[in-house]
Amino acid sequence: MDEIKNVSLEMKDYIASSGAETLSWCMQCGLCTNLCPWRLVPGEVSENFNIRKMQRLGQLGLEGFEEENILFACVTCGMCQINCPRKVEIIDNVRSMRNTTVGAGFLPPHLRPIAGSLHANGNPWSGEREKRAAWQNGLDIPAFTEDTEYLLFVCCTSCYDTRSKKIATSIVRLLKAAGVNFGVLTAEENCCGESIRKLGDEELFQKLAQGNIDLFKRKGVKKIITTSPHCLYAFKKDYPELGGEFEVMHYSEVLAQLVKEGKLSFPQELARKVTFHDPCYLGRHNQVFDPPRELIQSIPGVEFVELDRSRNKSLCCAGGGGRIWAEVPMGERFGELRITGAVEKQADTLVTACPYCIIMLDDACAGLEKGDVLQVMEMSELLCTALDTK
Amino acid sequence: MNIVVCVKQTFDTEAKIVFDSQGRIDPNGVNLIVNPYDEFALEEGIRLKEKFGGTVTAVSMGGARAQEALRTALAMGADKALLVSDPALNDADEWVSTQALAQAISKIPYDIILAGRVAIDDGSSQVCVRLAEELHLPSVSTVVKFSVEGNKATAVREIDGGTETLEIELPVVLTAQKGINGNEPRYPSVAGIMKAKKKELKTMTLADLGLAALEPKMKISKYDLPTPRQAGKKVPGEPAAAAQELVKLLHEEAKVL
Amino acid sequence: MPKGIWIFVEQRDGQIRKSSFELLSEGRKLADQTGEPLVGVILGEGVESLVKVVAAQGADKVILVEDEKLKNYSTGAYTSALNQVIRKGEPQAFLMGNSAAGRDLAPRLAQRLGVGLASDCTGIEHDPEKFLVFKRPIYAGKAFAYTGTTVRPVVATIRPNTFAISSPDESRQVEVERETVTVDPADLKAIVKEMALATSKRPELVEADIIVSGGRGMKGPENFAILEQLADVIGAAVGASRAAVDSGWREQKFQVGQTGKTVSPTLYIACGISGAIQHLAGMGSSKFIVAINKDPEANIFNVASYGIVGDLFEVVPLLTEEFKKLVSA
Repeated sequence: MDEIKNVSLEMKDYIASSGAETLSWCMQCGLCTNLCPWRLVPGEVSENFNIRKMQRLGQLGLEGFEEENILFACVTCGMCQINCPRKVEIIDNVRSMRNTTVGAGFLPPHLRPIAGSLHANGNPWSGEREKRAAWQNGLDIPAFTEDTEYLLFVCCTSCYDTRSKKIATSIVRLLKAAGVNFGVLTAEENCCGESIRKLGDEELFQKLAQGNIDLFKRKGVKKIITTSPHCLYAFKKDYPELGGEFEVMHYSEVLAQLVKEGKLSFPQELARKVTFHDPCYLGRHNQVFDPPRELIQSIPGVEFVELDRSRNKSLCCAGGGGRIWAEVPMGERFGELRITGAVEKQADTLVTACPYCIIMLDDACAGLEKGDVLQVMEMSELLCTALDTK
Repeated sequence: MNIVVCVKQTFDTEAKIVFDSQGRIDPNGVNLIVNPYDEFALEEGIRLKEKFGGTVTAVSMGGARAQEALRTALAMGADKALLVSDPALNDADEWVSTQALAQAISKIPYDIILAGRVAIDDGSSQVCVRLAEELHLPSVSTVVKFSVEGNKATAVREIDGGTETLEIELPVVLTAQKGINGNEPRYPSVAGIMKAKKKELKTMTLADLGLAALEPKMKISKYDLPTPRQAGKKVPGEPAAAAQELVKLLHEEAKVL
Repeated sequence: MPKGIWIFVEQRDGQIRKSSFELLSEGRKLADQTGEPLVGVILGEGVESLVKVVAAQGADKVILVEDEKLKNYSTGAYTSALNQVIRKGEPQAFLMGNSAAGRDLAPRLAQRLGVGLASDCTGIEHDPEKFLVFKRPIYAGKAFAYTGTTVRPVVATIRPNTFAISSPDESRQVEVERETVTVDPADLKAIVKEMALATSKRPELVEADIIVSGGRGMKGPENFAILEQLADVIGAAVGASRAAVDSGWREQKFQVGQTGKTVSPTLYIACGISGAIQHLAGMGSSKFIVAINKDPEANIFNVASYGIVGDLFEVVPLLTEEFKKLVSA
């Protein structure tokens, strides 16, 4: 029997005051828990984490949700939220509940180096700030000026991780090939702050975001192309709260439009069977479903096949909500289900359009030793291989 | 059992070291944390209280921001907190810090005084042992195991290449190694965090402690930064030659062995 | 007028510690530079035979304090004894190794003497005004502070391996001064009951100065033996990448990386680790990184100070042999 705990209105108010405005709307139907991707894997987190129960504890001001396996388990994929019959902003509630401890200085130990690096370096990967733009050496990327149409904002991950840098360089190449008028301010940028806000460190998020907003305004930025759906989310949904209003697009939206306008085409035929993993932050959170599909299918020779869980029902890679820094045993990683799903469809290429998804899926593919039958590619990389005529 | 835990607020482990116009280390904009070793001392102090009853008082020295560190201690389970804060302590060396802390702690009842074995900022690992001397108490450094029975305590401490077991009568000063008694610093409940906001956090100046400004014994004349890491080099050659060359480079160029 | 540079000669079971040889060697140079005599201070029981060793290492004089209470190190008795001989002899500087005993003893002694202490120093320079200025790494080596004082004596502990050991000169003659001390009973409140020396106990990952780590390239749990052999020669901890932990070859507590243990040793030797970003972010602040990997394109080479492109099963045992030669030299 669970220990009987006292309902605390004070704690309930404290959680609500951290931003969980819709917490009381929840009627405990439990649809959220059933739609949660944690139900698809075994293990300790899956057994402990129940999003409906977590909301209930918050509603009643009961202790018990602070345990790391509960409070920091949510991947913020949004599967529950878009289906909630009461329109509860479940992710905001999770964020607020996290903020009750994180805001008081208690980030779980394994997340402290990440926050520490964001404070000191402006990125979560312990990369030196001075080296943020080092990947651009020799690529001849124009600096953003008042006459530039688009600012290209590159995710921290693609600025520092050698694997992920290929995403950034591929996107640059595609934008150049299509003649897009774009420039960069990479050296002066901070992390967008999307993940640290989801982890509940509101103060740090605001510091990072304010730095970016001030920079963008000072430089006269109006339109932004992001390489990552997480930056897209931050700029579109978080920054307006702080007075940062910009026209923001994911690179897939821009490129798909250019293909339609005939300004970009892929002459190289690729004999590949390709499937697409919808990143949660591109699909469910920003409703960008068609552009990546249109782009992939504009490559001659490509056979496109959908995964069983796609578009609004896409299964998360488990890299959102700060989970990219979580330690999950093999056998409990959502990415493995994605790899298995792609292999079942007999696809030879699993494409996605997010640097976090790439890390998680690459890891799962290597862990399952499926590298010989399935190649994980970022969409920009696939598009680049179709750019060259031989 | 009355326990005093000395807590220091330090730079975040990820912090970049930047100098101000006077060539001193600039704390502006740096994220501050509780010294990680002190968190282990706090955990041990709180566990002792939970077992034997009594009071845990967290004591710190520093500027106004150090209150955050003490709030952390209170949220973890300390009962009271005391901050010694005075602009005259800005240039304090370990001797000065000891005089101020000894004066402050001598006004609190204690059986055990705990602190981390080292602070990750200046890394001097002096003040707690100096404190023991100033208060005429025995001390045990770098404690990995600790237990109390009646008025006697047993402490196991790390020595070079092994451990040493000591028997001490209380009161005693201990410096905690990471993982003391196999415990991790606790992660407080929201209730604990809320309660902490109402707990007593007192601030005292040197005048409140009956002390005049103290002249430090040691003076730092300058700071500098290590030379940045050289670009990497691949050691060429057949495995045997490469291994030989690598060890030579580590010994003569890097001077790490 | 205070006189002399005094070195605390730390002995255990009649064996002088390596750090004391280093200090005597450097102390000799400082003595020549400053015209001060170099004095070795030996505490113990039945340790007279050490006098000639200290002399050969460069001391002009040895202060020998023998007492049964000083046979083994204890904070109280050693503080009491040193306080008495230092007050009597008034040295300019009193230096000791930053060993476990040095770290424990120096602050207590400095406080009793009412003087300053520069701890864990990695450099000493002669200074006309302050006599000696000490270089100390701070913020885990991210910066250095230079500190000194005109208060006498100045006490300092020096990090082991900072100074080279000079070759001994057996012909050196030395003045020996025997001192008797009375250990205050108040200093004997902490009683050492037992000492346990572990043989080849590997240091904790987060505390280790050197870490040898293995990844996917290790191919199996049994192969970590070659890393352990290497580690034991140089006193290193053994870590693992996430891939090695995933494969069940090492326990999770040995995982290095942003999601495992974040480490910053002086030397990190990565064997068969490709270098996922979470791994690099968890060990990138190591002072020196060595990478051994057969894939020349591996990420790890981007952060490595030194790299060997080759088969780790060939390279690692060869490295172990080379380290053995170095350590025994």
